[in-house]
Amino acid sequence: MSDETVDIARVRAEIAAEVRARRAAGEYPASLERELDELFARFAPKEVSESLGDALERSEEAAAIAPEIPVASNNPLFGLVKRVLARLLGWYHVFVAQQVTAATVAVNHVLRRLVDKVTRLERATGDAARARESLARVVPTRDDASWEDAVTAALRGVTGRVLVGECGDGRLLAALSAAGLDAYGVEPRPELAETALAQGLEVRLDDVPGHLGTVAPGDLAGIVLRGCVERMPAGELVALADLAAAALAPGGRVVVASTAPPAWGRERTEVEADLAAGRPLHAATWQHLLAERGFPNCAVTTIGGRPLEPVAAGAPDADVLNANLARISDVLFGPDAYVLVATRDR
Amino acid sequence: MSTRAIHQFVPVVEPGAVASHTRVARDLIRAAGYASEIFTAEVHPACRDWGARPYRDYGRAVPAHPDDVLVYQMAIGSVVADFLLGRRERLVVNHHNLTPLRYFDGWEPVAAGGVVWGRHQLRALAGRARLGIAVSAYNERDLADAGFRTTTVAPFLVDPRALTHAPDPDLLARLRAAKEHGGADWLFVGRIAPNKAQHDLIKALAVARRHDPAARLHLVGGGADGRYGQALRRYADALGLAGAVSLPGGVDAAGLAAHYECADVFVSASEHEGFCVPLVEAMAHDLPVVAHAAAAVPETLGDAGLLVDPKDPFTLATAVRRVLTDPRVRTHLVARGRARREQLALERTGPVFLDALRTVVVP
Repeated sequence: MSDETVDIARVRAEIAAEVRARRAAGEYPASLERELDELFARFAPKEVSESLGDALERSEEAAAIAPEIPVASNNPLFGLVKRVLARLLGWYHVFVAQQVTAATVAVNHVLRRLVDKVTRLERATGDAARARESLARVVPTRDDASWEDAVTAALRGVTGRVLVGECGDGRLLAALSAAGLDAYGVEPRPELAETALAQGLEVRLDDVPGHLGTVAPGDLAGIVLRGCVERMPAGELVALADLAAAALAPGGRVVVASTAPPAWGRERTEVEADLAAGRPLHAATWQHLLAERGFPNCAVTTIGGRPLEPVAAGAPDADVLNANLARISDVLFGPDAYVLVATRDR
Repeated sequence: MSTRAIHQFVPVVEPGAVASHTRVARDLIRAAGYASEIFTAEVHPACRDWGARPYRDYGRAVPAHPDDVLVYQMAIGSVVADFLLGRRERLVVNHHNLTPLRYFDGWEPVAAGGVVWGRHQLRALAGRARLGIAVSAYNERDLADAGFRTTTVAPFLVDPRALTHAPDPDLLARLRAAKEHGGADWLFVGRIAPNKAQHDLIKALAVARRHDPAARLHLVGGGADGRYGQALRRYADALGLAGAVSLPGGVDAAGLAAHYECADVFVSASEHEGFCVPLVEAMAHDLPVVAHAAAAVPETLGDAGLLVDPKDPFTLATAVRRVLTDPRVRTHLVARGRARREQLALERTGPVFLDALRTVVVP
């Protein structure tokens, strides 16, 4: 057969489809990938995965510079030369070694104080890593069905790769794929990723900022941000906006699907809200962050909410009453969630 | 006065890509009518007949002239760079990339020191050099980040002698004997180092052996006795692959030719490459390439390889199997490899390199 008949892009797509099918059939379980990773980690030097305390101890051990000058040599003549040089320069070598040792000990002292301070802070405010670990075991309770239509509509007509981060159990990702989008997902929680993979979806086990950091600039046509945007601290969310802006091609779309801040912690999200390091942003805040990064066009769709019934127009003081009812509605019974769509400048 | 000499400086002359590029460049420069020597701080015994000189010879045994052009082959921190920073001649930096520090963390602390030193020197050289030549567009970004004002890309100068060497007959016979027991031979050539991610190839082999139980992986490259190489051996052992994964260390040109001759596929999981010469070597030996799309790898390969992303073991193993079992794909990749090799042949890359140098010579 002629060489021209082979379309390598198609071969790549077929390989990706075969891997998805084998994953879905259980032939390529995510657990095997984890086991292979963990086994290799056992043979890596302890420095690769050591704790901050261990690293500090190693640094302290390395702080002392030996003042002895090495004089051993296979060649007797060189040995003699080295001994003579050691005798002549030994005083200076000791002087330098003492200064270097003093400097490294001073640096280590500062590091030790910093580590103690961080440890005290963590003790006072709670260990963020442990909270994250605990949070990772909480099954998310938000329902993707509520914003499925809005997200799918927001991405209609997009050609190119669409990232869903986080994709959870894959419900939203499946809907986007069914709508004809070239979508893939990123999910940091292995159990959820495995559920999504079992449906034959393309999912990568990673966190969203980590994955976006590996995407070449302008490689994506669409990015859906959900889940993680409700738990990350403000600084990390600003960094996430930077990463998303860098990864999107001109004309690309960012879709933020988030619980509304007043609804965060209500009803089903209590445990997630309490353990999370951050809180969801208001839609207006995302709008501001994205506008600063070259996304001038922004549309927001709110979801849910149970506004109070207004009083009849003819009733006494109806205007004042209805204005107050509207404010109370916003605070107590406002939207549960929103879907924000921002389009990048071309 | 006009420029009569274009000399090159390199941290160490040893078997490997950078020194090979330097030697080819010297031959090209001489053929273009300029005097040219290689100056270095260290010469490996295997390269003693290359004619490299101690770097301090320049300006002493070899006279210096204000219109000389000095080309520094940058790959790691070196006293040679400090020497050049103190010179006044026209300076060009030919950048081969510095591996990011994160890959050394815990594995090669001494090499990490060399990289930190190299990064400092690259920034210092940016202020002195008239031109930065990168061997790939990927590397050119490094030069811009370091502060080089004028940069250009001239692809790596692959030594044609390395592509046509006769294979070592003894090694060839041994590799062929192993092949008689069935199973595909996977090959990766490159220093045994965390950024080359050979451990990911072992993972992929473990998955692939579910379908091809006799498949073998050859990890050819120096540094096999370091911490990372030892970890690879123990890892292969723990997976029951000790007999299937070989780490022969650095081999000579004949040994390398034997490995290319017997391999069925060249596989790369490398995460950081400034160019990746073995990709071109594989193309020259009509070997199909499956590679993780990272750093300069897609640029060097062009359309001549099967790029995978992500590089999880399942995707890598599936891609390799496709290449081994689908003759159409294999034939296509080999044909595209031949075309790409032609694009990167010295007849084409040599003039690009010389044209870049001509922008700084005194006419």
